[in-house]
Amino acid sequence: MTSSTPEGKERAPTPVVIIACQVLQDMLTHLLPQDLAKDVVFMDYGLHRVPGKMTGALQEAVDAIEEPSLVVLGYGLCGNGLRGIRAGQHTLLVPRTDDCIALLLGSYQAYMREFQAVPGTYYLSKGWLESGSHPLKEYEEYVPKYGSKEAMWLMDQQYQHYERLVLVAHNQADLETYRPQAEKVARFCERWGFRYEEILGSDAYIRRLVGLVLNLAAGTATIMDTVNGDFLIVPPGGKIHQEQFMR
Amino acid sequence: MSRVYERIGTAIMEGDPEKTAKLAERGLKQGLSAKDILDNGMVVGMGEVGVRFKAGDMFVPEVLMSADAMQAGLGVLRPELLASGVQLIGKVLMGTVKGDLHDIGKNLVNMMCEGAGFDIVDIGFNADPEKFVEAIKEHQPDVVGMSAMLTTTMRAMAYTIKAIEEAGLRDRVKIMVGGAPVDAAFAERIGADGYGSNATAGVDLAQEFVSAA
Repeated sequence: MTSSTPEGKERAPTPVVIIACQVLQDMLTHLLPQDLAKDVVFMDYGLHRVPGKMTGALQEAVDAIEEPSLVVLGYGLCGNGLRGIRAGQHTLLVPRTDDCIALLLGSYQAYMREFQAVPGTYYLSKGWLESGSHPLKEYEEYVPKYGSKEAMWLMDQQYQHYERLVLVAHNQADLETYRPQAEKVARFCERWGFRYEEILGSDAYIRRLVGLVLNLAAGTATIMDTVNGDFLIVPPGGKIHQEQFMR
Repeated sequence: MSRVYERIGTAIMEGDPEKTAKLAERGLKQGLSAKDILDNGMVVGMGEVGVRFKAGDMFVPEVLMSADAMQAGLGVLRPELLASGVQLIGKVLMGTVKGDLHDIGKNLVNMMCEGAGFDIVDIGFNADPEKFVEAIKEHQPDVVGMSAMLTTTMRAMAYTIKAIEEAGLRDRVKIMVGGAPVDAAFAERIGADGYGSNATAGVDLAQEFVSAA
């Protein structure tokens, strides 16, 4: 949809800079046109471990962009990791979701359905298996530090109420590739009665993000097209607030 | 002040249950009151744990071990506290909200509230709004505490407060909220009476509520 204010002043903010979590690397590289894909800044998964660290690193990346730009943050709220990020001279565009699970499942609604069906779900994805953490890895890190008995007690305290381990991927190939690793984690988690499931998501959410970015850059969409939807726009001078993600 | 207090505080910070229990016993033998051992030793140690956790100098495993140590110490002191007839200062009802099954923080607040002299009603984890409402009717607490660990679950706090309002119980209880993604602005927005950034802050809040009542 193309629209403009009565004064005709509304113009798409360009150029476009994309800063995204590594978890979205495959999808973004595949879906973006070459000229945008080559300049995407992919950030380390490790930023998730300390949410405060994520905020700082992303703010630095945003502030380092010299020209006023449409800055796409390929993240969700991520445990408040994005809270407080200031747009500065730029316009920020962010998927309006709590975390990347919605982005891997293909929609916010799909995530909420899963969440409501089984709140006690631990999600595994390509990204988390490669560079993030999971219960088995955590246990392996605890053992040398605390001894195996204490390590297991600590694990029990953290995971005993979960019910399900889910491997989620946006395509079948990733499910196949990461199944052996996920099943290994699943066997470990059987001690708490976790059941193992796989969910084939889709790239629909990211596809829509890419479409919106291209339309904004081309001026065939305006920021009004994003109001109250699946995306959050923060105008220059604005700041990301937690409540903007609540829906 | 007895050296025992300081050593108990340290044992809690080190997460050593055996040492904490032993020191608590020694303190009692030396004639210190259970209440003083609790207030000047264990609660101080646990408070420091909260500060260090917030600052990123301590992590979940260490906090869990400290909580375990405090539990062991409380086990020694509890009979003494009951026998000494220390007056309960109020009743706190605690639960993690619907969809949230992370109860480490909630259990910590419970323990600290017990230490401060509250009667605790723990309705567990993943408690839906109706469960809170029914429990408030049944137990008539002074304070209701809710906790959530995720941004996906924190919104259930708002639904729970709404359910308490609709049941006509809102003016009978003070509501405090806490958990990793929660902050004071959120607490205010959803109509809670207060927000605790850690277990000690939660207890302070509960104490403030009952002393103002």
